[in-house]
Amino acid sequence: MTPESKPLLTLDGVCVAYRHQEVVHDVSLDVAAGEVVALIGPSGAGKSSLLRAINFLEPPSKGRILLEGVEVGGSRRTLDALRRDVGMVFQSFNLFPHLTALQNVMLAPEHTLGLPREQARERAMRQLTHVGLAERADAKPGKCSGGQQQRIAIARALAMEPKVMLFDEPTSALDPELGAEVLATMRTLAGEGMTMVVVTHEMHFAEDVADRVVFMADGHVVEENSAGKLMRDPQHPRTQRFLNAVRGR
Amino acid sequence: MGTILSTLADGVAQTIGITLAAFAVAAVLGLPLAVLRRSGHWLVRLPAVVVVEVLRAVPPIVWLFLIYFSLGSTDNLQLTTFQAAVIGLGLIYAAHLSEAYRAGLDAVPAGQWEATRALALPRTQAYVRVILPQALIVVIPPMATFAIALLKDSAIASVIGATDITFQAVQLTQQDLNGLGNFTVAGLLYIALGIPFAVVARGADRVLSRRLVGA
Repeated sequence: MTPESKPLLTLDGVCVAYRHQEVVHDVSLDVAAGEVVALIGPSGAGKSSLLRAINFLEPPSKGRILLEGVEVGGSRRTLDALRRDVGMVFQSFNLFPHLTALQNVMLAPEHTLGLPREQARERAMRQLTHVGLAERADAKPGKCSGGQQQRIAIARALAMEPKVMLFDEPTSALDPELGAEVLATMRTLAGEGMTMVVVTHEMHFAEDVADRVVFMADGHVVEENSAGKLMRDPQHPRTQRFLNAVRGR
Repeated sequence: MGTILSTLADGVAQTIGITLAAFAVAAVLGLPLAVLRRSGHWLVRLPAVVVVEVLRAVPPIVWLFLIYFSLGSTDNLQLTTFQAAVIGLGLIYAAHLSEAYRAGLDAVPAGQWEATRALALPRTQAYVRVILPQALIVVIPPMATFAIALLKDSAIASVIGATDITFQAVQLTQQDLNGLGNFTVAGLLYIALGIPFAVVARGADRVLSRRLVGA
């Protein structure tokens, strides 16, 4: 992040706890508009918990989330406002199985934003086209491949025209070939200037697409740096060990 | 056999009426009970738990007596036997159905809820558009079972004087003392009336599952 740019998203001392077990400890992070941040690290490092804290799917036990400098999540109203501006893509897609691709994508524009149905439909069609799935508009998720399902899920989040997109291991449930088409879609989004926070095990994606990489272990941010520096020249031994391990496979 | 049938047939409309009306009451009231029971807050959950447990703990026949001879016999509230039966059985089956609804709601994966929250869908819309359609598929088979159980339990209404199949059979038997014949025919009528429920349930189940999976 360049010093003069104001952060779009700020995590300030965020902790996440399940019952009394704290799994994310005091993480602070600024994300600039248009920036792509990759969260990497071993399983159980708290990456997903941190990501889910950003839109309060796991409300932070401590700390603050600020969107464009405004603290959010204090009330149902600010929380809904936050969620309108923050799109989320899940590891397991979480598409609505009883609705067609188009209905999945137009649901929130129509019922969250209150757009007239025709306008919601147009917007949804535009996003499905964007992810290359206009011809699958009338298909139920069950009839689509995993890669297509995840791209529909991306279109569903984009249809809210969010300021930030969160991706929670979006390719982990997919075999490599299908994962690749999802990564290509995400690459396009990044190229268009979408602000993205991505939890991923795809090291190539982190290295090539992310502007900045944050390495987490045991609920802490161990190291963060520009993607090039962190991936090629990690400073912390824990990061070096992790990168060697995943690359050695 | 013919005269038995024609006499008991007079009760068929009443039996069907009580069953359908009580089931409608139960289907509607069961839903809020189920939703309240799933609340994260015990103060919301507790009253629903108490209502469900009390409704199920007291024998249906006692409920009907209670409703018909106490509430239904006050000066400003005169209930017919039909109304008392529908209210009593409707409430009891609301408690039963709420348990089935709850199982259906629980069967919807957590990820579906999360997706509706991430999209900031208003709670009612999340229920109506996303959660209930998926829960319904799980709920249809137990609902059909409860409908058939309700059909049989509707016979209890005869003790407060509702003129259903069982009431007619009792009346007839007091005249002709042919208990075996009269109640055999009554039993066959209940079996016959139950068949449509099973058929409708199977059809609904098929249609809904296809809607869930198919394109």
